[in-house]
Amino acid sequence: MNIEKFVSEFADQFDDLDTSAFTPETLFKENDEWSSMTALSVIAMVDDSYAVRLTGDDIRNSKTIQQIYDIVLAKSN
Amino acid sequence: MQFPFHKFGLIFRLVEEGDAEFILSLRTDKVHARYLSPTDNDLQKQIDWIREYKKREEKREEFYFLFANEDNEPVGVVRVYDIKDDTYTNGSWIVKPGCDEFISIKSDLFLSEFAATELKNKRCVFDVRKDNKKALRFHKMFARVTGEDELNYYFTIDEDGAKRKNEFLTSII
Repeated sequence: MNIEKFVSEFADQFDDLDTSAFTPETLFKENDEWSSMTALSVIAMVDDSYAVRLTGDDIRNSKTIQQIYDIVLAKSN
Repeated sequence: MQFPFHKFGLIFRLVEEGDAEFILSLRTDKVHARYLSPTDNDLQKQIDWIREYKKREEKREEFYFLFANEDNEPVGVVRVYDIKDDTYTNGSWIVKPGCDEFISIKSDLFLSEFAATELKNKRCVFDVRKDNKKALRFHKMFARVTGEDELNYYFTIDEDGAKRKNEFLTSII
């Protein structure tokens, strides 16, 4: 796993937002597009690409993409 | 199923005329209601619509649910309609802006439970707007596209797909 690829995959779950400035420190809920469907898209992407199942609490307790990445990393080990 | 129905920290009940103002506030939100059919910002029209709906509810042709949090504060609505001999559809889904992301997932699981008890042996068919890309990606994980027109893709979900979807959603909440 590497964080750059993860940020890119995470950004791909947003359809309308300009995500070109997304970094590991991006506060991913602080935009108009974040919704339950975006959360589901992220969870499905992680499930598909990393075989890790994120939970609602994982999403609720995270603010940055880096925090999600760290959870995925921990769960995949 | 008896209402109010308590599950997942939410309270589900059938919509009443007194909910018109709340529903109108959701359906006239330009951002969050953008994938729903347009609604006039007219409270009396919304009340009249609910009054007509209650007749369909009485005949078990349609069920419009409001869900509230544990403080009994309304947070969203969803509707089951076009109930036929072997199929039904759901939609009109909308959650109050700023609520927990996973409330809509809980309401989806509630609908599955409602369908399993009240709409036995009926298959869910539904449509998703073509520009609602995230919803399309999600539904394609579990449901099958049966057709399309200029505006929508049309889906059906079989028993296996519904089971996989429920397992997926239950593992998240």
